[in-house]
Amino acid sequence: MAEANQLFKEFKIQSVSEFFRRNAAMLGYTGKVRSLTTLVHEAVTNSLDACEEAGISPYIRVEIEELGREHYKVVVEDNGPGIPEKYITHVFGKMLAGTKAHRNIQSRGQQGIGISGAVMFAQITSGKATRVVTSTGNEIIEAWVKIDVDRNEGKIVKKEKHPNPDGWHGTRIELEVKNVKYMRSKQGVYWYLKLTAIANPHAHIELIEPDGRLIVFPRSSDEIPEPPVEMKPHPKGVLTDDVYRMAKKTRRTSVRRFLVGEFSRISDKKVDELVEYIAALRLIKTVEDKKVQEQLYERLMKGEVKAVLRSFKGYTKVVKQVARMMEKPPEKLTWHEAEEIVEAFKYMKFLAPPTHGLRPIGEENIEKGLKGILKPEFVTAVTRPPKVYSGGIPFQVEVGLAYGGEIPSGFELLRYANRVPLLFDAGSCVTTQAARSIDWKRYRVDDLDRTPLVLMINVVSVHVPYTGTGKQSIASVDEIYNEIRLAIMDAARRLQTYLSGKHRRLYQVKRKKTFEKYVPEIARALSVLTGEPEEKIREYFIRFIESHFASKGQEVSENA
Amino acid sequence: MPKSKAIKRERPKEKFSYDPRKVLSKLEEYGRSVLEAIKSGKNPYFDIPTRGLNNVYFDEKAKLIRMGDKLSRRYFLNVAHARKFMQTLLIMAYVKRLVAEGKHASLREAYYANKHTIPGTKENTFEDQRESDPIIEDLERMLGVLREEMHITADRRGYIYGDIVIRDGEDEFNASKLGSGGWAVPGTVEHIQFPEINVDYALVVETAAMADRLIEEKFPKKEKALIIATQGQASRGVRRLIHRLHYEEGLPIIVFTDGDPYGWYIYSTIKQGSINLAYLSDKLATPEARFVGMTMDDIKRYGLENVTEKLKGIPPNKKGGPTGDYKRILEEMEYPWFQNKEWQRQLKMALKWGVRIEQQALANKSLEFVAKEYLPEKINNGDLLP
Repeated sequence: MAEANQLFKEFKIQSVSEFFRRNAAMLGYTGKVRSLTTLVHEAVTNSLDACEEAGISPYIRVEIEELGREHYKVVVEDNGPGIPEKYITHVFGKMLAGTKAHRNIQSRGQQGIGISGAVMFAQITSGKATRVVTSTGNEIIEAWVKIDVDRNEGKIVKKEKHPNPDGWHGTRIELEVKNVKYMRSKQGVYWYLKLTAIANPHAHIELIEPDGRLIVFPRSSDEIPEPPVEMKPHPKGVLTDDVYRMAKKTRRTSVRRFLVGEFSRISDKKVDELVEYIAALRLIKTVEDKKVQEQLYERLMKGEVKAVLRSFKGYTKVVKQVARMMEKPPEKLTWHEAEEIVEAFKYMKFLAPPTHGLRPIGEENIEKGLKGILKPEFVTAVTRPPKVYSGGIPFQVEVGLAYGGEIPSGFELLRYANRVPLLFDAGSCVTTQAARSIDWKRYRVDDLDRTPLVLMINVVSVHVPYTGTGKQSIASVDEIYNEIRLAIMDAARRLQTYLSGKHRRLYQVKRKKTFEKYVPEIARALSVLTGEPEEKIREYFIRFIESHFASKGQEVSENA
Repeated sequence: MPKSKAIKRERPKEKFSYDPRKVLSKLEEYGRSVLEAIKSGKNPYFDIPTRGLNNVYFDEKAKLIRMGDKLSRRYFLNVAHARKFMQTLLIMAYVKRLVAEGKHASLREAYYANKHTIPGTKENTFEDQRESDPIIEDLERMLGVLREEMHITADRRGYIYGDIVIRDGEDEFNASKLGSGGWAVPGTVEHIQFPEINVDYALVVETAAMADRLIEEKFPKKEKALIIATQGQASRGVRRLIHRLHYEEGLPIIVFTDGDPYGWYIYSTIKQGSINLAYLSDKLATPEARFVGMTMDDIKRYGLENVTEKLKGIPPNKKGGPTGDYKRILEEMEYPWFQNKEWQRQLKMALKWGVRIEQQALANKSLEFVAKEYLPEKINNGDLLP
């Protein structure tokens, strides 16, 4: 035992901040280019969310200043509602402090770690505090924020207050970071902001690059998306831990009231049903013959709960026991009981979850975003109706397709989850797999790698099934894969229609030229044969061709 | 053997009819119809008789291969037709100038004269002579006018020898006084006239070697015959000359070829015309021509068994057959104009024996044999195939 004591002498309790300090990679801080992008992402995301919640059209300015080798100052400024003074340390200094982590809500952010993670990353690479300038419209507060890693707390190192005669509101943060690199690559800040601008056409985004170049992604829509609403969890989507913890926190007076009140699609009648299912499960577990047990489980899955119950002697006693459980105060719910409830949910049928919490970009706005940033000659978008995966998690897929114009040759896939661009791990992403599975030739895209084509895919969900911690790749869930394919094919069909019309028009122009080029030759020959002047004959022919194609042109535009 | 003259010159059936004004007015008429169409907003077109086997039939009554009445319409306003429409007009204009100025051009000259880059493009009016030749053929069909009448001439091949006076432009000469080479038949014979003819018939000879032999043996003089050497398949000029000599001058035509499928085909072309030039059969073919040899019967009759040659290819009863000569013979047996007892017999014999016999094989007897015995005997006895 002495040895063990010796060993545990060094053992210390690690704070949340300390944990993430040592595992920055989990927050997306890997690689010099990606780290900078993550930093900007956290700040921009906060700005967009804040503006939307306040109903303000976002105006976001990102400035990257090179201070030295792999040493930068990152400035992100918005016109959001600003942060009240007393919340500054809370927002920037505390890990897992946000309000979102425990809510069933569609969100851009990384559940409360985001911006404080950025502050910490700046702090551990440059040693500098983060400068925050913010105002809610009254005085302007300028604060330098640091994180006390051991205590997981924000600290204001220095604070100044300034008058605000113009009533400015918004937030500007300045982070000084090292070990990062600015590059105009597909994983850098420029590309990230461009993709963000496409998915957020209501935002005006500017970027000043280290060499002083100003890039503007202008706003193309005046419609501010409504902030997402919180949704009650669906029984099919919860884990034992969720039920257990929710039961501890609820203010409802009984388990029954708790289930009806805090889950979607659970009614009093459903609770009665639930009682039967739990009772049946308890009884089935008492059966010793494994084969018989399997059969009973199967019948339960088919919904024959009453028949299953009746096959046991004295089942009413068990049912009454379970029914009593429903009437006790929820905080008395045991882990085992929560487990039973969740297991029963798996056998029961529920209405699909409500989808009003999902916030797709919308077809019109996707088109605006693609048009505004990429300047294509053709654009279309498809937003599919919401669907459910894993039995109870609602999700929705939308795609946008942009073709030609200023788009360079080659196929480009822009991936988003809840409007947030995904820049990494494209290979393992379900969006990539779905896009590749399309037979593009069927849609008049003969050579995908030489076609100026951009496909954007946005997967919207309360719970996006990411692969791994980086949240850069969406897992290949069959329901999502199929929805993406359907959406792409729908958009591709519209592209096909457009391309056919275009080919037809080009063909007409070519045809017309074919005829016109022969006119002088024909006129000369006919002049020899008939003695009429060449010029007159030429006129006859040109007039004839013109009138023919004038009527043809009309036909084509009507078809298109 | 007594020399009773069985074959004599007959009465002419046709009058020489070439008139350049007819060609000119036809061209102008077509030009005007195009112009009128375009003026009234209609898509101008030419109707051109379809070429090829599917628009050809054998006219039993006239014993001619004739062109059917299938037409293909060539529009200006049709992407697939426009270029050819333009080319047709170019050649028409060119022909008009040639005929009006009384000049002649070869097919190749016609091609080069009309080839140029279309302004504002990288395209030529004609890229290849293979583009202009068919247009000229189309015009022949369309206008019902010979290429020669349009003053576009073909390559010359073949010659004649015999006591006949020819007027060619300002020159006038006797074709038996031009040395042993005779008179080369030009590409076009439309303008040629025959003021004096002292022969009884024309003997068309496939090979130049045989024609030379006959001239050396003084056959034309002795038999009062005109020798026409085709030198293989008869050229258009030669065929037109044969036609004119027969119909305009009344000369009987007797054809002398090798006894093989190629020789018989040469005969068939002279007599009935060809599929390619079906539209000109009226002017090129001579259905009344007859065949003197070589026949399969000659082999036995003249004891030529030793000098036959084997037919080429695989016979029909052998594996892989029929090919080569055998196949040709079988095809010829199907020709409507070979549907008579005599010819079927000859062709069957050739198949059965698997042999062919050349004109020159007659030299096996003696050099004079063909001129002194074979031809006079067969011709004067009327021992000819239809």
